[in-house]
Amino acid sequence: MVTEQRTSGPMRSAAFRFALLLAAVFAIGAAALLVIVQHQIGRYAAEATNGGLKAESAVLAGEYAQLGRQGLIDAMVRHAGVSRDAQYRYLLLGGDGAHLFGDLPRTVARNGWSSVDVTEPAREPGGPTRETFTTLGKPLPGGLTLIVGTDNYDVQRMRARLSRFTLLSGLGIALFALLGGYLTGRLFLRRLDRVNRAVDRIVEGDRAERLPTIGFGPEFDELSHNLNRMLDRNAAAMEALRQVSTDIAHDLRTPLSRLHQRLEQMQDSPVVEPAMIDDALAQTAGILSTFQALLRIGSLEGGVGRKRFTGVDLSELMDRIHQAYAPVAEDAGQSYLADHAQGVVVEGDGELLAQLFTNLVENAIVHTPAGSTITSRLFVAGGVPVAELCDTGPGIPPGERANVFRRFYRLDASRNTEGSGLGLALVAAIAALHGAECSILDREAGLAVRIAFPANGQVPQTKGHS
Amino acid sequence: MKILLLEDDEATRMHLERVLTAAGHVVDSCTSGKDAIFLATGGDYAVLILDRMVAGVDGLGALKALRAMEVRTPAVFLTAMNGVEDRVEGLEAGADDYLAKPFAASELLARINALARRPPIAGTKTVLRAGDLELDRIRRTVARGGVRIDIQAQELKLLEYLMLHAGEVVTRAMLLENVWSFHFDPKTNVIESHMSRLRAKVDRGFGRELIQTVRGAGYRIDGD
Repeated sequence: MVTEQRTSGPMRSAAFRFALLLAAVFAIGAAALLVIVQHQIGRYAAEATNGGLKAESAVLAGEYAQLGRQGLIDAMVRHAGVSRDAQYRYLLLGGDGAHLFGDLPRTVARNGWSSVDVTEPAREPGGPTRETFTTLGKPLPGGLTLIVGTDNYDVQRMRARLSRFTLLSGLGIALFALLGGYLTGRLFLRRLDRVNRAVDRIVEGDRAERLPTIGFGPEFDELSHNLNRMLDRNAAAMEALRQVSTDIAHDLRTPLSRLHQRLEQMQDSPVVEPAMIDDALAQTAGILSTFQALLRIGSLEGGVGRKRFTGVDLSELMDRIHQAYAPVAEDAGQSYLADHAQGVVVEGDGELLAQLFTNLVENAIVHTPAGSTITSRLFVAGGVPVAELCDTGPGIPPGERANVFRRFYRLDASRNTEGSGLGLALVAAIAALHGAECSILDREAGLAVRIAFPANGQVPQTKGHS
Repeated sequence: MKILLLEDDEATRMHLERVLTAAGHVVDSCTSGKDAIFLATGGDYAVLILDRMVAGVDGLGALKALRAMEVRTPAVFLTAMNGVEDRVEGLEAGADDYLAKPFAASELLARINALARRPPIAGTKTVLRAGDLELDRIRRTVARGGVRIDIQAQELKLLEYLMLHAGEVVTRAMLLENVWSFHFDPKTNVIESHMSRLRAKVDRGFGRELIQTVRGAGYRIDGD
């Protein structure tokens, strides 16, 4: 048998795909963070620049007020000479527009805020060459105009570094996620491979094989545990099916060969009596009803029918069966008594429950001698609806009680009476479908069968029985 | 009466045609759900007999389609599927009766008779009569020749069903279904036990026996 190839490497594993998705999320997150930080830094830097310019022009205005025009120019020279890379640059214009001092272009010569782009040789390798100057113009007494400007070189440099850092760390995180995904995927696949090999062995017919634990976490172990439970259930169902097939082959061979003999007999005899035909028909009917019962038990054990459950008035149902069968028991010389609590309702299928109790009653009528008493009881004990059917017949020996709910089981004593040996098996199957417990009570004489329904399946007893 | 039969198994179809024709019916048969829909919408049939499992559009699908087209002809399903659910599903699809294979020919004949002669407005008659036997459906009383008969509730229901189908054969399975709501074959003589009690009250001591046993089929009440 060719093993199906289900996986083709960690790159296609779910873990890797998940990691890929995570990496994408990280990358998008890093980009968004970068945009926000850039924006915030830009705002902060602009505020700082403006504050500095205001302070510088105020200081210079003070110098002018105290020391006059030459004092102002001296101060500007002094400030510009503090370092090679001065923070501020200036422009001082006379009342007639004459250039008095400074190297800012004349385009910024106006009152208030302004800005100008300046191209300069890079001050350090890799640094920006094109800079934007922010300027503040201020009129001074005596018709002078003072313009102070500053560049945003530091801010731009910081922005560039931040971009590089964010880009690199974003790439790093994404790569890390991918690598992690690849490794996790490989680990997963190796574990799952063991599971898949076990599945292959099961498919190839090894019914005892079960899945190994997957590991990683309780949820995965629970999965393999549940799958194993499913396999156990299926194995049990297959075993039951095999049992039924054997039973059918075994138990139907006798009636079929009898029918065959009867038909041969009819073939040989010159005149076919109607009684012989009736007999043959009755035999086919018997065989078919055995099949019918087997199929019904099979479908019940498969759990079919539970979706049609409704509230069933058990009191009404058991009363109805009592009324139907009391004359039958009477004709057989038996008495059939009923003691049913009223308004007992269970969740279930009315038709199947009717079949359950009918089978019990008919079983009692058929298997007890004249003079016996059959008693049907229905009561609620501790919230649990309980139905009992007792008779005063020969009963079942304690050693055999465990077997009576099995298919085709018949007591040796009843081998020669009517019946397929499926009645109580059907009772057990219907009870199991309803979650009811089916048991043989220990009595000194006679047979007593008890069906205890689940307490929680009971619908509130609002529906009274008329 | 005129009957439409949908059945794709040749042996079964021939057998049913023979049985129905012998009982005096006229049979049109077909082997697919589509043909059944076509014939049933056109022809004037008294009863439709539909096999549930045929290839293509099955009996269930055909009946659903017919009911959707307002075709109200009484229909009975024949089927090898015999779970409780299958029957409920069939009745929900609009079938009037449901018969599991294998069945006795007499059972089918009795059921299609009951379906075809179903009174158009069921239950309008409050007093049923068969000969000199009278059943008051409101007061739940029975009298024969004007003499009141003391009768139990179960026996009255049994008699009521027989009288609603007076002149027709009523099978044991029909009685079990309609009087006791049992949809399975009992292993004991439930019907016989009740019937003998009913006869003892209704027929014994009177000149003529109204309830007759039809051998191999069931019972019939006849007033004429």
